[in-house]
Order: sequence, then structure tokens, then C-alpha cells
Amino acid sequence: MKIKQLMRHSETYVLLIVILFSAFVTSVNPAFLTLENLFDLLRSSSGTAILAVGIFMVLLSGGVDVSSTTIAIVGQYISVNVLISTGIDNIFFAFAISIALGLSLGAINAVFVSLFKLPTLIVTLGTSSLYHGAMLEFVGTRAVNVGGLPQSIKDFGSLNVLEVARPDGSTFGLSVFFVILVAVLLLSWFILKYTMIGRGIYAIGGNLEAAKRAGFNTRRIQFFVYMYSGLLAGIMGVMHLSLIRYSNPNYLVGTELGVIAAVVLGGARISGGSGTLTGTMIGVALITILEKNLIMIGLSSYWQQFFVGLVLVMGVSITYLQAKLQKSGRQIIVKEEE
Amino acid sequence: MNQLLSKLVKLQFKESKNKYLLIIMVLVILTMTVLMPSQFLSGSNIQSMAGQFPEFGFLALAMMLAMITGGIDLSVVATANFTGVVAALILNKATTAGVAPTVSITGAIIAVIAVSIVCGLANGSLIAFIGVPPILATLGTQGLFLGLATVLTEGYSIGGFPLEFMTVGNGTIIGIPIPFILFVVGAFVVALLLNRTQQGFNMYMIGSNPTVSRYSGVNNSKVIMKTYVVTALLAGVASIIMISRANSMRPGYGSAYLLQAILVVVLGGADPDGGFGNIPGLLMAIVTLQVTQSGLNIMAFSPFFRKFMWGFALLLVMAINFIAQWYSDYKRVKKMRAQSASAAEVVS
Repeated sequence: MKIKQLMRHSETYVLLIVILFSAFVTSVNPAFLTLENLFDLLRSSSGTAILAVGIFMVLLSGGVDVSSTTIAIVGQYISVNVLISTGIDNIFFAFAISIALGLSLGAINAVFVSLFKLPTLIVTLGTSSLYHGAMLEFVGTRAVNVGGLPQSIKDFGSLNVLEVARPDGSTFGLSVFFVILVAVLLLSWFILKYTMIGRGIYAIGGNLEAAKRAGFNTRRIQFFVYMYSGLLAGIMGVMHLSLIRYSNPNYLVGTELGVIAAVVLGGARISGGSGTLTGTMIGVALITILEKNLIMIGLSSYWQQFFVGLVLVMGVSITYLQAKLQKSGRQIIVKEEE
Repeated sequence: MNQLLSKLVKLQFKESKNKYLLIIMVLVILTMTVLMPSQFLSGSNIQSMAGQFPEFGFLALAMMLAMITGGIDLSVVATANFTGVVAALILNKATTAGVAPTVSITGAIIAVIAVSIVCGLANGSLIAFIGVPPILATLGTQGLFLGLATVLTEGYSIGGFPLEFMTVGNGTIIGIPIPFILFVVGAFVVALLLNRTQQGFNMYMIGSNPTVSRYSGVNNSKVIMKTYVVTALLAGVASIIMISRANSMRPGYGSAYLLQAILVVVLGGADPDGGFGNIPGLLMAIVTLQVTQSGLNIMAFSPFFRKFMWGFALLLVMAINFIAQWYSDYKRVKKMRAQSASAAEVVS
């Protein structure tokens, strides 16, 4: 019974693919399944995972957010420039600026989505062009390299919460990024499961009109969702900066496809109302090992985009084909009863 | 029949937007003329504008067809990239092998058509037969096609085409750029498709209400399939103009066109929810965008500012559409209330 239930979720299949693919990569290159590589994967993918949580919440509410990678880069680039020009070398200050920007840009998205009732994809496509163009025009286009980067950001990137010694005496560790990810996941899980606003996100994703009539303040929920996505994008922006120690205002933009693919592969329905955080994380795991480990099995990085597209197309085809078959199956049963 | 009548009335109502579009277009052209009469109205500027817009004009035509059926095609630029790369590879290999230009160009065009049809069938079958929402299906195929283009070229740009091929993108006939002539023909064919064929009528029907169209005996899957094949073919034509204008092709070329295509289609009166969209509106929107773009170019604005402007314009147009709709609804309700109040007075 339990297994039957599990087999009905697409997450299970994605998890199986993750395990099979990991086993395959390990058999080709044993360096994959080492604690060091796993810690490294966690460190480099925590940011993407946080972004995915924000996009997941938006999908759950029945929308799409393609602007969150742009919000992340805007938060990152502006906060690092403010840090440099004011001389305040503090990581919390960087996070504060980036998060404030994320919240306000998310609120602008929400204004168009909620007050003007415009299609979310086109709104966020428009705002991402607007935000990115405005930043490049009014803030600057010069990349900040490691020499110009504030010390606190570099320190934050190499901060570990757990140190493990290698045989030769040097150490590697579990990055603080993972702790941030866990905190974000716990918070989001709590919001979705135990707060009225969280239940409202599921409700408006299922049926906006029904949720409104049931007494949900749909406008407030939509503002919450887009601002939450913006907030997470703001956090991710600074994390990404301290991860790669380089701030190029053209980075991240264009990677939203991969993140949305991860969320959708994790079983979130694009029309809203259905999906789980666990699934989202499994989806992120799949995309991460696809993107980071093609080189490990000897394929050039040119294949990356192709594989992400292929996996997305196959994943959604299976999901929708299943739904279609189930539906037609039900229709047959109804006919038999008649 | 009633459905059909109300549909026709609605269409007229929506197309009244073209009136405003015409005003906007004339205003934009006048502004540019007044601001810089010598540069803007010069023959060379008009010629260059007419040569510039067709490559994204074709993408906009494609996007509009998808939107009329209530879908969206995020893969248009990726399709154009993929077909463009295939054509570029054929032209490049054939030229180095010493094949006659006429043969290699014909081969490239046939390849573009074939690859476009395959891309369109892929999108169409995902959407029509498997039932994947168009956003998701074309988001996936966008990655797939762009990925294939990248794999084929290994990230390099491909050049070295026969000189004869360059005339497609850069040549003129009695001073009129060939891309412009191609676009006029393309727009005319699409207009015929939309207004004079069963397929066009069915596309509007599906966009307005897929359930009604299915119960009226329309084979929705077939119509959607055909729509996405035509969409991909238009993207293929765009790719031919792209590669011959630039004399090279690299994957990722023209990624900004996606937003611009959506922008002009929405500006031109198409509804992202489907059912609306017409060629005159789209043409006026394209002219407006191209004139603005050239104007900003002449005034030496940076490409970043233009990126900002397009996003801003898209949001502004949609917000204005929403407010106009809301206002006309409000007026209608007010009128109805007044009528029922006066009717009540008569009764009493």
C-alpha cells in the first residue's frame, strides 16, 4: 500500500533517476561519491535550491516567476557596490540591502500580478528586462573581481560549520550555505503547513475565485508570494557572490530555465495548487548533478542545456501523459457504471 | 450561431484598439520627425529600418499565432537559432567543398524548412496530444533546441557563406530591402490564413473557448498541431534572414527578440488568454517599436536603456489595457444600472 502510494508521485521517479544517475556517475568516476564532493555539491547548489523554493511558492500560487534570477543579480550587484562605496565591510549589511531590494522588486511584480491581474509569465518577463536594464543603465556594467571584493563576503563564502580532515591533514567542510538552505526550507515548510497564508497559497493556486469566495485575502497572499520569492532571491544573490567571489552584472540572468525545470520536475504543477518542498529539492538535486557532473562522465559542457531541456520535456510529458491516462481511465469507469 | 455572433461582436470591440494604436504610431513617428528631422526622415534611415525589423517581425507573427490559440511559444528564438545553425553549417561546409551557390542555398533552405517542421511537430505534439501546457512545453523545447544548436556548433559562431546568399538579408529591389518584401509577403499569407481559412477561424475559436470549439466539431489537436508547425516555419524564415544579414550564426543570437516579440504582439492587441490578435494591429505595433528603437539609437541611448524601455513599455501597455477594460466595464455597468432604474420608475 505504502509503496503503491509512493509510486503514484512523480517525485519518486525523479528520486529514482537521481539515484540511478548518481550510481552511473560513480561507476564511471568514483570521485563522485565522496563526502568531499557531496559537501562541494551542497555548497554550490544551496543558492539554486533557495531560488527554487521561491519559484516553487509562486508556481504553487498558480503563477510563474522568471524574474527571480534577475532580482538575485540586482540584489547582489547593488549590495556589493554599496558595500564598496560606503566602506562598510559587513556581510549582514550586504544581506540587508539585497533582501530589501528583493522584497521591493517582488512587490512591484505583485502589483502587476495582483492589482492589474496580468498574466504572470509576461509580467515577470517584462519586469526582469526592466530591472536588469535599469541596473545596467543606472548602476553600472563593470564586474567586481576578487581584489575589489569586501573581505567579509570572501570570509562568508569560506565559512564552514563542520570541518572534516583529509588524510593529508588539510580540511574540508560543510559550508554555512547549507545551514541557510535548511533554515529557509524549515521556514517555508512551516509557512505552507501551519499558517493561514500558506494554506491560502495552495487555495489560490487551486482556484483563485473559489479561494476568494472562501474568504481568503487573495491580494495579500499574492503580495506575500512574490515578495517571499524576491526575498529568497535577495539572499541567493549574496550567497552566489560569496560562492564565486566575482560579481558580473550579466551572470545568473538566463539561468531561470534550469531552476523552473528543477521545480517542475519535482512535481509542482505549473497551473498551481499542487507540489511539495521535498519534490522541489529532489528536482534541484537532479538538475544539479546533471549540470555539474556531465564533465565527470566525459561529456563537454555544451551538452548541459540540451540535457536540461531534454529532461524537462521528458519529465513534464510523463507527468501530463499520466494525468491524461488517469482521466480517460476514470471516464471509462463512469461509462461502465452507467 | 449565437456564440458566433457574440464572438464577431467581441472581435469588433477588441479591434477598436487599433484606433488607439494608429494614434500612438502617428504620435511616435511625429515625435521622431520633429526631434531630428534630418536624420530620421533620411532615405538611408528609412531603408535601414525596413531592413531591420523583418527578422523579429517574423518571430512576432509566430508568437501571435500561438497566442491566438491561447498558447505561447517561448521556443521561437531557439527554433530560429537551431534552424539557423543547421543552415549555416550546410552553407559553410558546401562552400568549402566548392558546391555551386545555387545548390547549397537551395539545400540550406530545404533544411531550414525540414528542421522547422520537426521543431513545430515536437511543440505541437507535446501540447496537443500529451496535453502539456504551452508555457511548459515550449520552455522545455527552448532549452532542447538551443542546446542542440550549441552542441552542433560547440559554441563557436559559423560564417563563410556564399556571397549570393547575402542578398537575401542585405539586397534591395528598386531600393526596397528584400527582408521587407519577404515580411510583407509573410504577413499577407498569415492574414489570409487567419481571415480566409477554416484553420484561422478554428484558431480563434480554440483561443476563445476550447471546449466550445471541440463540441462544435473542431479537431482541436489537429488545429493546434498545425498552428505550432506554422509558428516554427515562420521562425525558420526569420533564421534565414538573420544568418544572411549577419553573415554568421551563433547559438544565442537574438535572445532579446523573445521579449520584443511578446511586447509587439501584446501591444498589437493580442490577448495572452487567446482568441484575439490581428495583422493590422501587429503591423502598427511593429512599426511603433522599430521607430522607437531607431530613434533611441540615433539619440545614442545604450542598449541597456533600451532593455529597460522594452520591459517598461510591455508593462505599461498591459496596465493601460487593463485599466481601459476596467473602465469600459464600469461604464457599461453604470449604464445598465441607469437603464434598470429608469425602467423601474416607468413601472412604478
